[in-house]
Amino acid sequence: MTGLAIDIVKRGGQRPSEQFSHTKLHASILAACLSVRTPPGQAEVIARTVTASLISWLQTKPEVTSHDLRRIASQHLHTHHPDAAYIYEQHRITI
Amino acid sequence: MATKHTFDYDLIVIGSGAGGSAAATIAARDGKRVAIIEADTFGGDSPNWSDVPTKALLHAAHLYDEARHGARFGLRSSTLGYNYPSIRAWKDLAVGRTGAGGNRRYYENQNVSAYSGTAHFLSPNEISVNRRHLSARSFLIASGSHWVAPAIQGLDKIDYLTPRTILESIRPPKSLFIIGGGGIGVEIAQLMAIFGTKVYIAEKASRILPHQDAEVGSLMERTLHEQKGVTSLTETRVLSVIKDGLGKRVTYLRGGVEKFVKVDEILVAAGRLPNVDLGLENATVKYTPKGIEVNDQLQTSAKHIFAAGDVLGRDSHTHSALLESRVAANNILHKTKASPDYTATPGVIWTFPAVAHVGLNEDDCMKRDLAINKAVAPLNGIARSNTSDFRDGFVKIISDKKGVVIGATIVAPHAAEMIHELALAVKHGLTADDIAQTPHAFLSWSEAIRVAATKLT
Repeated sequence: MTGLAIDIVKRGGQRPSEQFSHTKLHASILAACLSVRTPPGQAEVIARTVTASLISWLQTKPEVTSHDLRRIASQHLHTHHPDAAYIYEQHRITI
Repeated sequence: MATKHTFDYDLIVIGSGAGGSAAATIAARDGKRVAIIEADTFGGDSPNWSDVPTKALLHAAHLYDEARHGARFGLRSSTLGYNYPSIRAWKDLAVGRTGAGGNRRYYENQNVSAYSGTAHFLSPNEISVNRRHLSARSFLIASGSHWVAPAIQGLDKIDYLTPRTILESIRPPKSLFIIGGGGIGVEIAQLMAIFGTKVYIAEKASRILPHQDAEVGSLMERTLHEQKGVTSLTETRVLSVIKDGLGKRVTYLRGGVEKFVKVDEILVAAGRLPNVDLGLENATVKYTPKGIEVNDQLQTSAKHIFAAGDVLGRDSHTHSALLESRVAANNILHKTKASPDYTATPGVIWTFPAVAHVGLNEDDCMKRDLAINKAVAPLNGIARSNTSDFRDGFVKIISDKKGVVIGATIVAPHAAEMIHELALAVKHGLTADDIAQTPHAFLSWSEAIRVAATKLT
């Protein structure tokens, strides 16, 4: 899973691209789940499932934008935890 | 002074199939800097995986079938056989001779830069192809569509065929279960049955070829059963599939009764979905899973991005995609905008007998509450059916109350050629009387068109 060499073009192309990190993605989804008081075990399972789905989507894409990652992750997260998906989408505004 | 933006290309075309290649070559001939991106095989679906290879195989199958049944004409064909690898070699030759199939140089020779890889929009004017960033003033999205698997229990756990992968089979399977009784499913059913495969074809609707007139479905069902031993399972829902030894077991529900059949292979031909996973959100292009939204000029919600072909989610005819590609090229290059005219676009199913239709069918007219006249001329009423010893088929013409031809369906050996006479009538508003008054050569299948038209006058 960590072997994926995918470049992430950062928002607006203002900052340099960075390598895809599944740990970072996992942590962000976990944080969104925990922020809506999801039990830690369930949050971990959801984060793992969503990360796996997203990695599967990334298999044929050598380069995507950070916006794409956020969009696809929130689509998958929405099926598992709609409240966490809302926070995941809106956290830049709500924090 | 306003900054003049510079781009790598004037036009980037995503997809090298019928929807993309025509526009790319037109723009290149116009002196524009053009790039074409292909995620799969250059040339797209039609020359590589659908129209050309399927029709080449069907041609060989039809020759074999006709020769096999030639005893009634005094031909000795008892020792006739086939060599499937040689038939596949013929199919590959036909694909190679198109020039476009799998041939990147075809585009490069026309001053079009060709890139292999998946295109992904990074911003409205920039895409990424294998980490290479390319920018353009305009884009044409012609990324096509792909076969989708229906939600059937166990389908994701077994290997199944699609109309694309079956073309690469080493030999025809002994038995085949086809899920989906549309045009492609029926073509492959006949193709494989001719080569000796026991074929089952499952369709949810009450007849195979549900998008055609009712007579077409029932006639093809009867023809396939009586001549090729194909079992049509209409009003059937496939419940589950499971690996069973070397084969597969298909469980289906028909008439409220659960049944199962064991087959060698399963072929899924239950529909296609547009390829829209291109980062379209980054380019502000509106779309749904059923296709990209465009206006009459094929322009998307982003004014510099156009779309053509299967990705629009409309019909999936190659000739419609070519028409859209030419229209999109015109609208990208010129200020005078055009719209594709789909009136009289023929549709053909390349079975034997072939099925061809144009304009409205009877169901379309009922949905629109149109007052119509219709006439059917069975093929057995014309002289050619005697000399060819072939009787299953008909010509059906639909006209409005003034006699203007608005639609037609033909089931006949050369229906694909015959339909264009009626397409011309639909396109130019000719009446049934105009057709009836036109001389038709004696002993041509087209005499059936004159007979049907005469019935309407």
